[in-house]
Amino acid sequence: MTYVITEACIKAGMCANACPVDCIYDAGDHFIINPAECIDCSFCDPVCPVDAIYPDFQLPEEMEHYKTKAYEFDFSGMEPGFG
Amino acid sequence: MAELKQKRTLEEVKALSREEAVEIIRHAGIIGAGGGGFPTYIKYKDPQPHLIVNATESEPGYQADKLIHKEYLNEFLQLYEGLKAIFGFEQVSMCAHEKDREWFADYQEHAEGGLYEMRYVPNRYSLGEEKMLIHHATDTEVPWRVETSDGERRPGMPLDAGIIVNNSETLLNVYRALFLGRPVTTKFLQVYGEETDLKVYEVPLGASVTEVLRFAGIDVENSGHLSVLDGGPYLHDMSIEELGTGHDAYVRGTSNALLLIRKGATAYKEYVDIETDPPEEDIVLLLGLLPEGVDLPLGGRYLKPATPLVSVGDEVPYEQKIGEPRGEGFSVGVWASVGGTVTSIERGIVAIGGGAVPMEDAAAEAEAEAKRQKAVAKARVLG
Repeated sequence: MTYVITEACIKAGMCANACPVDCIYDAGDHFIINPAECIDCSFCDPVCPVDAIYPDFQLPEEMEHYKTKAYEFDFSGMEPGFG
Repeated sequence: MAELKQKRTLEEVKALSREEAVEIIRHAGIIGAGGGGFPTYIKYKDPQPHLIVNATESEPGYQADKLIHKEYLNEFLQLYEGLKAIFGFEQVSMCAHEKDREWFADYQEHAEGGLYEMRYVPNRYSLGEEKMLIHHATDTEVPWRVETSDGERRPGMPLDAGIIVNNSETLLNVYRALFLGRPVTTKFLQVYGEETDLKVYEVPLGASVTEVLRFAGIDVENSGHLSVLDGGPYLHDMSIEELGTGHDAYVRGTSNALLLIRKGATAYKEYVDIETDPPEEDIVLLLGLLPEGVDLPLGGRYLKPATPLVSVGDEVPYEQKIGEPRGEGFSVGVWASVGGTVTSIERGIVAIGGGAVPMEDAAAEAEAEAKRQKAVAKARVLG
């Protein structure tokens, strides 16, 4: 299980600040959570100013591709947050 | 109105009105002991059909809540009966990790009477978070967002799914308030990490962290290579960055652990696999065993400061009320966790017996804890 950042993301960065394990990265158009590092603590979700973050079990069907992208994303060599 | 400082039988507890019980919980100073710090009485002002007891302490290495359940089995059984009568819970569920089935065998046996049920959830870290716990332990989901009456949206909360979630220690404090007439004056916490086996203490609120470590056998003055975290490998605040330098911190109402790590280490990377065993001596009560005084904040995370009932120079006995909850906003009672002279009341902190730490340190810690609310802890109260 993981949390998933979706299209509404404006890269405000508050999720990255709230994340206790630094698992949120800048993927260009939006931020992205590394599912392998996410501990499901939920701290990113309520601080998002645009409601862009969902637990994957409540992710709307039309946004499933953001979850797929997160699982397939290559995080190697990246620094968390704004990098 | 029912008084706090009065012992009650189970039948007397069951006869309390909801309003009386909520007031007792409020005046007793009970807040979420799992780390959230949210005032417990608020949850009970709006009782729900289902109470979930979160016994899944999730930080790697934690043992304290399991010891609490082992030591206070009969108290929890009485409490569940009392709370069902007062607040009309249709269901009480105790949630524990799968790995702890054997530990909770006694609770499983007593659950057969139908007073409550045991539910076991996967051994995942996230199950300490209320919404995730509900997702795994019930057939119910907390809604992702909820429309409010003024057209705004807010994150869903357990109450939106008809559920109240309380942590184990929080509920023990509710038992003590309703049955024993005792306010919250102590915090259960574990000391573990580098150079020590895990120990679990019941510590006076506001006590010096350094004193607790000394009691645990840590050579504080010669441990400059160690830092102390208030919390576990994942969620914590820095308590003392370098031991032995004179800086100190006090035990908060939300302190669950003092984790010793190598100075400069990243706890969530280097200590996440820490393994511990329950201590042979079970829980050790430190009341009267720490020489320093205490620092007691009148307010705190989410809490408006209580109105002080004492002045500098007053002699206060143990368990005397020193702060009266305010009528507006979230506010709870504050009680002396040691007996002694009130030596200062500054910046919303009452020092008894000279205080646990220098006022500058105490004020900085209170401020840091309040700031944490704005970022990280916000999720806890919502969840």
